[in-house]
Amino acid sequence: MTAVADCALDMRGISKIFPGVKALSNVNFAVKFGTVHAVVGENGAGKSTLMKVLNGSYAPTSGTIKVGGTDVRMRRPADAQALGIRMVHQEINLVPDLTVAENVYLGRMPGKWTFLRKGEMVRKAAAVLDELGAGINPRERLGNLSISQQQLVEIAKAYAAQPRIIVLDEPTSSLSEHETAALFRILRKMRDDGIAIIYISHRLKEVLEIADEVTVLRDGSMIETRPIEGITAAQMIRLMVGREVSNVFPKSPAEIGKSVLRVERISDGTRFHNVSFDVRAGEILGLTGLVGAGRTEVARAIFGLSRLVEGTVSVNGRQVSIKSPSEAVKAGIAYVPEDRKGDGIVPGMSIRENISLPILRRLSRFGRIRRGADRVLAADYVKQFSISPPDGERRISLLSGGNQQKAVIAKWLAARPSALILDEPTRGVDVGAKAEIHNIIGQLVAGGMAVVMISSELPEILGVCDRVVVMRDGRASEPLTRGELSEERIMALATGEEAA
Amino acid sequence: MSDAAMEISVNPDRFTRGSKLVDALSKAGLAFAILAVVLYGSVVSPAFFTSGNLLNVLTSMSIVGIVVVGMTFVLVVGGLADLSVPATIACGAILSLGLQPMIGPLPAFVLAVGLAGLIGLLNGVLVGYVGINPIIATLGIGTIGLGIVQAAVGGVIVYGSNPASAEFAKGRLFGIPVVVLIFLVIALIGHFVLSRSFWGRWTLATGGNYSAAEASAVPVQAVKAGAFVITALTAGISGGLLGLTLQSARPLIGAGYEFSAITAVVVGGVSIIGGFGSVPRAIAGLIFVQLLTNVMVLDGVRTPIQGFVLGILIVGAVGMDAALRKRGVA
Amino acid sequence: MRFLSLASQHRVVIILGLTLIISALVVPGYFSASTLGLGLDRAATIGLIAIGLTVLLIAGQIDLSGGAVFALAGIISVILQREIGILPAAIVGILVGTVAGAINGALVVGLKVNSLVLTLATMLIFRSLAHWITNSQPVSGTDIMLSLALAKTYLDIFTIRSALFIVLIVLLHVWLTRTIPGRNVFAVGSNPAAAKESGIASDRIVFFGFVFAGTLAGLAGVLQSLVTNTGSPVFGSELTVAVIAAVVVGGTRLEGGRGSALGTLGGVLTIGSLTIAMEFQSVPAYVQQVVSGLILILLVVLDRAVTTKGRASGTRPALISDNPITQGGTT
Repeated sequence: MTAVADCALDMRGISKIFPGVKALSNVNFAVKFGTVHAVVGENGAGKSTLMKVLNGSYAPTSGTIKVGGTDVRMRRPADAQALGIRMVHQEINLVPDLTVAENVYLGRMPGKWTFLRKGEMVRKAAAVLDELGAGINPRERLGNLSISQQQLVEIAKAYAAQPRIIVLDEPTSSLSEHETAALFRILRKMRDDGIAIIYISHRLKEVLEIADEVTVLRDGSMIETRPIEGITAAQMIRLMVGREVSNVFPKSPAEIGKSVLRVERISDGTRFHNVSFDVRAGEILGLTGLVGAGRTEVARAIFGLSRLVEGTVSVNGRQVSIKSPSEAVKAGIAYVPEDRKGDGIVPGMSIRENISLPILRRLSRFGRIRRGADRVLAADYVKQFSISPPDGERRISLLSGGNQQKAVIAKWLAARPSALILDEPTRGVDVGAKAEIHNIIGQLVAGGMAVVMISSELPEILGVCDRVVVMRDGRASEPLTRGELSEERIMALATGEEAA
Repeated sequence: MSDAAMEISVNPDRFTRGSKLVDALSKAGLAFAILAVVLYGSVVSPAFFTSGNLLNVLTSMSIVGIVVVGMTFVLVVGGLADLSVPATIACGAILSLGLQPMIGPLPAFVLAVGLAGLIGLLNGVLVGYVGINPIIATLGIGTIGLGIVQAAVGGVIVYGSNPASAEFAKGRLFGIPVVVLIFLVIALIGHFVLSRSFWGRWTLATGGNYSAAEASAVPVQAVKAGAFVITALTAGISGGLLGLTLQSARPLIGAGYEFSAITAVVVGGVSIIGGFGSVPRAIAGLIFVQLLTNVMVLDGVRTPIQGFVLGILIVGAVGMDAALRKRGVA
Repeated sequence: MRFLSLASQHRVVIILGLTLIISALVVPGYFSASTLGLGLDRAATIGLIAIGLTVLLIAGQIDLSGGAVFALAGIISVILQREIGILPAAIVGILVGTVAGAINGALVVGLKVNSLVLTLATMLIFRSLAHWITNSQPVSGTDIMLSLALAKTYLDIFTIRSALFIVLIVLLHVWLTRTIPGRNVFAVGSNPAAAKESGIASDRIVFFGFVFAGTLAGLAGVLQSLVTNTGSPVFGSELTVAVIAAVVVGGTRLEGGRGSALGTLGGVLTIGSLTIAMEFQSVPAYVQQVVSGLILILLVVLDRAVTTKGRASGTRPALISDNPITQGGTT
């Protein structure tokens, strides 16, 4: 074999620029046949974007891709599949109403004319599943399987297609240790068969165990590719987070008062368990962890958007039972959601109409919104938060992300909550708006509000928060105080390198 | 951060209507269409531009128009359509005539409208709280409601027994037919509620982005259910007035009204996916459709073709709505 | 909870059994071959349309225009009898259904609009066409003897129509369970994103689903017109709810992805035996309407209760997996 043929994938100088944002910048990434190549990086480092370029979902702004030594151009996922590239997504994307075997061969079922060779398909699927050590009946309806079993079917589906390159995105996030071990066995077998395996994971222990090489991404750039020998988890973490912590985040000088929002041993039965923390007046409590650790679910449940099955929530010392957002508002809790477009704004409405939405009844008399009441309210916040353009009548969907976010925060301040939960408040906003939002948060706590800030961005958490709770797999750590905070410590807790 | 970018590039604005220019254009388009029909009508038929004919159009338009006001709420809240309108109209018409001998004309009317509202409440609970597809729910409830109303009167035609109430419904006040006045009052109330009250704002928000409205402490389930109650009440009133003017009510008296109302609302530019629209728009759509049918009638076009044209208009308007959404220009 | 979902899985059998028992108690001689044959024949009309709707519902779509297509196809097949003869006219009638279905399919796929709203509009159009052509009067065919021949029962039970229905439903069963396109219909209705990603041409499947449904509604309409020797623009207006109810009784989900031909058979038989039982008891048509409406609503609510309870509380799988923002955050 020549050196060229050895190279399963060679991505050179890949950049991906979205309007206003550079998601990938000049990334070089090469994977050899017959190796497991891990890709690690923080949330937002560019891993997903890179993989979407690789599977044809995104066209790169610049750069070249070689698969098996030949230049390729992929316009859609089908192109990537034709080249033998298969993705196993973290989110399960299967058909719940078909059988396991039918899912494994979805789109490629064996048959003569149009008649399905069911026996053959079931036999082949059973063989693949056996190789994986999955112990799943191929005739079972997929929807009846547990999430971890479905994850294995997803892997079996990719494997059955006999790919040349297989990408696994957090494949073990829902697998037990035993299933993970089985998966690693099959990955090694695939590797020995000459398949190139790209393995994306936050679990560094697994990376050390399975990978031959590791590439670290940070802020859309390739930091380093190294053989796995001679690198430790601690070194990887340093490479992942290793940026200078700039001082753009104003520390909150607020005086910390008594406890405002206290949650005790809450669980929703599936996504998080036994979570407890409290926030005091004038305090910013950070809630961090990897995406999928259950942070947003905790916030939504506290705000009444989903149900708690256990535990208590109290505000200002009084226990409250919250079953809907309006009860949460009455109790004095407000929530700025993570998904701004989906849950934050009503895009067809103006800034004024959006800001006044939660308190419309207070602005109304005899059912009629008092003339100008919402206008005055909106004008106040537009000015106070310097929302641009400073026109309350502007349709909110025409604003930049940062200004939309300021309007969403304003919406909740109008309701005068005593505790505010912010879910990724600065995701997707530019640096200037980010600083402004941090300023606003600073003013709020200075005014005595208790703030919970959910963020994946460690510098932000470190710069802004007084205490930090780290979540992993639906469970929360003890709060870390300022003195105990470091990026390495948080990453270790979040990835399970250190017991929470 | 790549996230912002993904938001922009792969998640195109779900709600792309409402740009001022397009808004103005579509309003102008509607006005132009109405004008064109009026001009065409005046040219083709000498009978068109007579006060008698226009008053006829106005009166028949008023009965549908009352339903249109309610149906606007259903579309704006994102409830697709209310197909139980024939049942609620029949309920209003049959009961307000049938109960007259027992409890008098006014209580009969009020009770009839109230019971129609009850049908709407059932729709609303199924759609808003249980989460059933509105078209299936209203189709089913409409069938049941119509059956019950028919059973209540033994499946026959009901006649009025109170001439005074008939006189009132057919009469005029200040030279304007009473039915038209009632329609105007209901339209004004509907317009006020949708555009000036917190309930209307909630309706628009729920239709515009259900989860954002829910996360903004809007009682989305109640708002959705409310739209169906409103439609049922308006249809009940419309049915009652229809019964009083005709002085007879057959069970199928309301057949076809649901389509006339939906056509008017959709042609008026109210979005079929919700979140956008107003009562005046829907009424402009109604005026256009009614004048068009009137001109067709005067032109000697037979009734079935009118249904055909209505259907084409709905497909056209819905297709336009979808196309504008896709290109993100309107 | 276990009980509810179990009951909902086997509900066809339960409901059909209950219906038959109650009918037998109320109607004397219910299980005689002639009664059953009559019931089956009556059910066949609903059944033929239900076959088409089963496929569409599994693919996640719906067609409300079936009743109107039924009327239109029947009318055309009767009117053309004089011009081109009975058999060609019947074939043209069925083709009218095919074309109507193709129009529905092309509009739904092309405009990407909700099929409920779109077929509501085309229902109005097809129904108006039926009125237009006939001047709102019933039309009658040329050969009354043919009707009698078609209404004849074989083996004491089957008419040509009911036999055709049974054969088609068995073929549908084979197609849905044993062929690749049949299985792909489930994939498209159950998880369109996954189907698309696996290279299944969902648009084509949806389009042909509508064509199929239209053709069967046309076939049912032509047979009805041949049996009654009449075509009428008001035929089939009460069928929509009955057909949807039959399919839903059979366990096919309105949300797509689940359903079966045999379930639809059970649902159709249920509605058919109910109709016959009520007719024997001279229950007025409007009460029958109430019953089919009630069955529809109750079952849809039951479906809803089972699916929402079955899902873990507090999770939003659809939103989370569809949401590019949450996905983007994984990096």
